[in-house]
Amino acid sequence: MSGLSSHVPDPRLLTTYAEHEDSPFHRVNAWTKVAVLALLVVAVTIADGLAAVWALYVAVLAGYAYAGLPVRKLLVWYTLPVIFVAAIAGPLAFGIGGRPMVELGPVSITWEGTATFVTLLGRGLTVVTYSLAIWMSTPYASIAHVLGRSLPSPIDQVALFAYRFTFVILEVVEDLLAGIHARGGRIQSDFWENRSLYGRIFGHTFIRSIERSEALLKSMNARGYHGDLAVYGHVDRPPARELLAVGAFALGIAVYAVTVAYGVMP
Amino acid sequence: MAHIHLPEGSIPLWAVGLWSALAAVVLAVAVYRLRRDGLDARHVALGGMVAAASFAVFQINIPVLGGVHLSLSALVGILVGPALGAIVMFVVNVLSAMLGHGAWGFLGANTLVSVVEVAGAYYVFQLLRSSDWSHFPAATLATIGGLAAGSVLMGAIPMVSGITGVEISGLDLGIYMLALVAVNLAVAVVEGVVTGSVVSYIASIRPDLLGDRTPTAGPEVTGS
Repeated sequence: MSGLSSHVPDPRLLTTYAEHEDSPFHRVNAWTKVAVLALLVVAVTIADGLAAVWALYVAVLAGYAYAGLPVRKLLVWYTLPVIFVAAIAGPLAFGIGGRPMVELGPVSITWEGTATFVTLLGRGLTVVTYSLAIWMSTPYASIAHVLGRSLPSPIDQVALFAYRFTFVILEVVEDLLAGIHARGGRIQSDFWENRSLYGRIFGHTFIRSIERSEALLKSMNARGYHGDLAVYGHVDRPPARELLAVGAFALGIAVYAVTVAYGVMP
Repeated sequence: MAHIHLPEGSIPLWAVGLWSALAAVVLAVAVYRLRRDGLDARHVALGGMVAAASFAVFQINIPVLGGVHLSLSALVGILVGPALGAIVMFVVNVLSAMLGHGAWGFLGANTLVSVVEVAGAYYVFQLLRSSDWSHFPAATLATIGGLAAGSVLMGAIPMVSGITGVEISGLDLGIYMLALVAVNLAVAVVEGVVTGSVVSYIASIRPDLLGDRTPTAGPEVTGS
């Protein structure tokens, strides 16, 4: 995605993997993937301690690699979540008292603080990795079907339009940036000098997107569209073996919650 | 826009449920209002396109304060209003979470923050425009006001929820969150200036999008 942030995953690349690659994970039912995502969020939220969190992460990463998804790219895409953990949660975690690991004058980083930081990092990366794996292994038609069936109207319609036209608008932004670069313009310099340039880029992006929506609507209306974007794909109910796997995962989380995380039962 | 960037699992499960439930209520109200007022196909398409544009703009890095990404949530509010804007920002938050920008567990909380920004910017902009303010200062001030309100909520949510595994709480956590809110306010000024420029640009090209009179020599929409 030239001109755009390289540390943000390119939706077009993610979709290419979804549409053109094949692996056991690609063949997993889309509903199963969504259910596992919800369970994974619960699991990392209640996971108690470094070992439990990183065991989940290793399992998800192994599945990601087994599905043939790009591991090296993943390291670049981790930039944003890692920066967020370091910048937002880092100061909190390193403020935790305990045995000093590194002392920098009056400030010290403790083993306990480091463990909390690494645990928070593991929680974040586990779900980020799985989310990207879903996007890179689920074809557009299946995602559209799940969105259309799980969200009420008009949220589903807005989501479907947004998902479909994200790719078009990215190209508009890229063309604008390429045009600026071709004329010797630079946005990666002083913000205040370029503030009107930013205004034009963003303003033009919004106007182009709105005009595209108006033009698209005209053509869709001519084809009988009256406010309900048809969901062309169809996703069957998950097969029994996947339902059993999801059920086992849910049961495992429930048992862990009552015995370890919350200590309701010994 | 203000966004809670804490990683997944940073707040307890009950807090995830609480913020998700509140966001669901807000979205239900937005859906009800849109259906009651007769949402037509044009608005649906507009909402989808604005969501896609907001998500695409988010990919551009602005070299301020070490690098800032804007989603122009206030602009979304000014363009499509609070009800459709709430839905647009929910969709943008979902897309962002898919890419690792914002945890799924904070989807509800981040949606609430975005809705406050969208609604705040919309109402302040309408108020200032009705008082004959020109586009740039009205949009800039509306954006700063909306984002400031969102930043305060962003700081309050971890205060109410508590942060898992971190002993800091009470006043210490409050001071830390206050510092985060202050940083967000600085970003709000950046986003305010950008949004003011965008709205001025839109007003010169397509004033009808802002509810203004269409220019006599305005360009005809022919599509792409």
